[in-house]
Amino acid sequence: MTTYEYYRIVEEVFEKYMGRPTVFVGKKITKWDEVAKVTGKALFTADFLKLYKDVVWVHSVRTKYSHALIKNIDVSEAVNVPGVIRVLTARDIPGVNDVGYVIPDQPLLAERKVRYIGDIVALIVSKDPYSASEAAEKVFVDYEPLPVYIDPEEIVDLMTIEEKAHSLIHDERGSDVVAHVKIRVGDFSKALREASVVVENKYRTPMQEHAYIEPEAALAVPEPDGGITVIASTQCPFDARRAIARVLGLTQNKVRVIAPFIGGGFGGKEDVVNEVGAKAALATYYTGRPAIALHTREESFIGHSKRHPMTAWYRHAAKKTGEIVLVEANILLDTGAYASLGPFVAWRATVHSVGPYKVPNARIDTLAVYTNTVYSGAFRGFGNPQVHFAVERQMDILAEELSMDPVELRLKNILRAGDRTIHGQLLSVGHGVGLEDCVRRVIELSNWYEKRRLYSNQNEPVKRGIGIALMWHGNSIGVEGADYSSVSIIINRDGTITFRTGLTEMGQGSLWGLVLIAAEILGVPPSYFRVEIPDTSSAPDSGPTVASRSTVMGGNATVVAAYKLKKRLSELAGSFLNCDPSDVVIEAPKVYCREDPSKEVMWREVVEEALWLGVPLQEYGFYRATRAEWHEETGTGAPYITYTFGAVVSEVAVDTETGQVWVERAYTAYDIGRVINPIGAEFHAVGGYVQGMGYALMEEVVHSKEGCVYNNNLSTYYIPTIRDAPQIAVAFIESGYRQGPLGAKGLGEPSIVAVAPSIANAVSHATGVQFTEIPLTPHRVFIELEKRKRRL
Amino acid sequence: MHMPRFDVYVPQDLNDALSFLDERGEEAIPLAGGTDLLTLIRAGVVKPKILLDLWPLRKNLSYIRREGGYVRIGALTTVDEVLANYLFRDSRYLGFIDAARGLGPTFLRSIATIGGNVATGHPLSDMAILLLALKAEVKFVSRHGERRVSIDEIYLDKRKIDRRPNELIAEVAFREKPMSSSTAVLKIDRRRGHSMGYVVSASYMALEGDVITDVGIAFDSLGKPYPGRAYRTEEFLIGRRFSEDTIAESSKVLELEMTRLSDYRAPAEYRLSLSKTLLKKCLLLVSQRIKEELMHG
Amino acid sequence: MAEYRDYVVKLTVNGVTYIVSVKPYERLIDVLRYKLGLTSVKEGCGRGECGACVVILNGKVVPSCLTLAIRTNGAEVQTLEGLAPEGKLHAVQKALIEVHGIQCGFCIPGFAIAIKHLVDNNSNPTDEEIKEALDGYLCRCGSYSMLIEAARLTAKYVSEGRRYFDLRECLGE
Repeated sequence: MTTYEYYRIVEEVFEKYMGRPTVFVGKKITKWDEVAKVTGKALFTADFLKLYKDVVWVHSVRTKYSHALIKNIDVSEAVNVPGVIRVLTARDIPGVNDVGYVIPDQPLLAERKVRYIGDIVALIVSKDPYSASEAAEKVFVDYEPLPVYIDPEEIVDLMTIEEKAHSLIHDERGSDVVAHVKIRVGDFSKALREASVVVENKYRTPMQEHAYIEPEAALAVPEPDGGITVIASTQCPFDARRAIARVLGLTQNKVRVIAPFIGGGFGGKEDVVNEVGAKAALATYYTGRPAIALHTREESFIGHSKRHPMTAWYRHAAKKTGEIVLVEANILLDTGAYASLGPFVAWRATVHSVGPYKVPNARIDTLAVYTNTVYSGAFRGFGNPQVHFAVERQMDILAEELSMDPVELRLKNILRAGDRTIHGQLLSVGHGVGLEDCVRRVIELSNWYEKRRLYSNQNEPVKRGIGIALMWHGNSIGVEGADYSSVSIIINRDGTITFRTGLTEMGQGSLWGLVLIAAEILGVPPSYFRVEIPDTSSAPDSGPTVASRSTVMGGNATVVAAYKLKKRLSELAGSFLNCDPSDVVIEAPKVYCREDPSKEVMWREVVEEALWLGVPLQEYGFYRATRAEWHEETGTGAPYITYTFGAVVSEVAVDTETGQVWVERAYTAYDIGRVINPIGAEFHAVGGYVQGMGYALMEEVVHSKEGCVYNNNLSTYYIPTIRDAPQIAVAFIESGYRQGPLGAKGLGEPSIVAVAPSIANAVSHATGVQFTEIPLTPHRVFIELEKRKRRL
Repeated sequence: MHMPRFDVYVPQDLNDALSFLDERGEEAIPLAGGTDLLTLIRAGVVKPKILLDLWPLRKNLSYIRREGGYVRIGALTTVDEVLANYLFRDSRYLGFIDAARGLGPTFLRSIATIGGNVATGHPLSDMAILLLALKAEVKFVSRHGERRVSIDEIYLDKRKIDRRPNELIAEVAFREKPMSSSTAVLKIDRRRGHSMGYVVSASYMALEGDVITDVGIAFDSLGKPYPGRAYRTEEFLIGRRFSEDTIAESSKVLELEMTRLSDYRAPAEYRLSLSKTLLKKCLLLVSQRIKEELMHG
Repeated sequence: MAEYRDYVVKLTVNGVTYIVSVKPYERLIDVLRYKLGLTSVKEGCGRGECGACVVILNGKVVPSCLTLAIRTNGAEVQTLEGLAPEGKLHAVQKALIEVHGIQCGFCIPGFAIAIKHLVDNNSNPTDEEIKEALDGYLCRCGSYSMLIEAARLTAKYVSEGRRYFDLRECLGE
């Protein structure tokens, strides 16, 4: 494999900054977006509507059945509704009628059949939103209903993992199993015979909704050359561009996607933007006018991807001493009507399916299965919160069987530097494997042993409990695709800097982290920088803003660009300051020689000189992760460049009379290599916890047997409120990752992974009941407590 | 992101509104705060020909008065006006504070009205449930006069109350309660912050010494799809000494007169247990409030 | 198709009086966002469930998505855009920046209005009063603890008589 210069640069910069004090990195500096957001000036997608005239509205006519064949679609009455300009169906799509992400299984407009309640059969393009929705009632569709499946166990048998006979949802594919990912390591039948304790259980996790406060939106604008600009609430402007161009039959350079501020993403604004953007663009294509597609909250619930519900059977075997000898699992992920990112989610779930432990033998089978529910795809954690719920519950149950403290059992088995993962990947010191430090930190912060003992004997109706869970999470996308990212840094003639990337800012401050990195390396304060809104026509293709990759992948690209600029400008300054380039210190607004600070010049003069002497003032930073490796038959290789590790402790109160659970305090510690932007790191640790708590205690999208969603709004689908969020102590371990920007790793997704199991473990500790299903709603807890009472 | 189109009649005053209803009552829907009705219209569940805007009537129908041994609340009194009213600092009426706080976030309390909460006929209407426990009466007015009906007689079906097409709810009123009495509303859901409640429970109780002299027990549902009173439980409690045992026994009586339904939010068996638990908690809270008042005056 | 009459509504928003023509089914949020261009008012649900669209209407915090525009004739409305004079920031804005409480920012207009309204009516709120005032406003990024801190800090500034700040002060420059 070719060794590119950028690998060397990243490692050189890592070594330079390792253990050294920094000026900007690691400091709380007001983010670039805060003032715009707090004054109401920040424009989100729908806000751009005020800047355009003659905008047409795009209304989606959705199916009435969640599984049916389409016999006929009659739009003749709808087109005659006053105000309606066009009614579009599948036949009107000029390019390819598909918005699928991983596999082309998802038509933009349903033609032959509908597979879930969000499928769109026609688009009404109208001069106002009112006539658009009124005309929707005049679209008549003849359906031939088919059997509806809302439970993946109707499609596949969990224990044999064989597909059952049923009326195929994707008959064109010949099977409703979308993906099957495996791990086969060691001799598992032998391991089972040698084990002294075996624990096996069935686990269930719910379908979770992103519930970002900004519903999906896209505004398309015609360009004079037949091209189309789409302003969209998206995490992945380049993926959206590719999909929209494909639907319209245009080349990619004729579609421009701009991603303004996003009102929350969490993985939900990845592939749905292919659909929403294409709907707006299609209307513009046919009307020559700007077009807006806005989802209502109810549409958002039924019309975009969710977190995959999981049903899993797990078997752990251990020696008397607590060492794990075997993990076996059958994992079913319900991907709903379309694959979305399901195959990748299944892969990530499998990679992490044994938890952050040394496991010598494993057999894992993960299946992603179609059903007629709303499709599932990317959601912060991406399959990992599901398997961690199961694994970390297994660890606590195993600890109980062995009469060991849950922390002690984990410390016996955790991955440390020099160990190999289940896949055989060597975790060298350069990875920064600070899991043990994370554990020690949270047990110290939470006063674990004392509370564990204190809460073990209670007679009050409200019982307290404390639980721990550990996690690991592979950074970036591994073998899922071409893993590159890029940024451009442009120094303007007045010394200010324009910073561009196609990675989007979802608010947690990852782009600000990139600015801090560039500022640190260049020696130019962050106040000199202006971050531009991602725009596919001005920013380099940076890959998607997913998989906790902004800081690591975008950061490495930033390191490369800033390093090169710094080098060129140091050489230039050195030449007229008469000192060695390595001696030049840039501390904008000044530049001077370290040996003789009286040799000084202004930063702006260096910039001006560069233009006169012909030294380029802009740099494009590109970084491609080292190639991941995965052997499909055995599940071995090196699936991810590296892993973020962490530990979470939760303290709960359980009202045994009502079944209510409250989290009273939480403690988190993550090894993220190095903290780049502490504001953002805290946002993730705290925000990920709150979202994970919702997952553990209250959130669950529920389908009727007809495939409709019962709770499709924010008063019936509960997310945590200000009264629910507990006190959360946040700690970071900085072990340093050699191939990360100044040693950093990602935290976006890791911050949710261990939350639900830590809470469930605490509830089990409080009540003595081993819970295997979330959310732990009052009735689930209460009913289990009653069952236990009857048994005793 | 918008409402479906509908027409609205904006009346000059109450007479104008009642004349309008006399003529077009069959096809018109009165709009109070709109926190419930507008969401139903938006969802297409209700497709109004025309709405009657009640907001101009607030100058007449927003009040809280003590008068002739009654507490009278104008139908268009908003929930935040209830919360702010000194009357409900009276320990007898603390249930109104519970109900107002539980009814919704501050930004809904500012427009949601007492009359609206009664008129929705939805089981989970906290104010109406409290009014049931207080044995309140509802005053309907029309061009042809007024009609006072005990609140437990107005519910016909889910979201259907016995309001004639030409009538409006003008007021709810209840007899002033004796000094040694109090009220409470409790509900439980999967989160601490604002929520609907799996079960909503309201209790009113008057004590003389430790003897229960008057009691009102209401729930979001006893089996029918609207709120109701637990008459048998009330009957059981009245005249007995207030004690943990009495409460425990009363919950067994409640079980005899209550049927619960399962839905996607919770199974019936849980709702029934929870109702019993909330009955206990509510009565204990009421007795505690009475005691505190006796101690501190 | 039925014809719907136009109502003329005169309302004062952030100190400026407007006369707008509205249909009976139009909501205050439609007027503010699409007729007056005040896009700080965000539509998160259209059902009064998230708090992103609240404004101060005649001294009360109301959801502009559940307020018919015809009801606002003669009303005084305040949105995030009008919290401070031009070039200044209101104490709540300064506090939100200072505690670094802003993630995606979509819910921020609602929280800012709610905190401003709370502090106007209670310059020394307890934590319980803060939670009571902010309960039901949804922040999916999970900044709740920072938002409580911002409310405390706003109250502190306002009770010290420091209601408006220069932008530079807010950036710590």
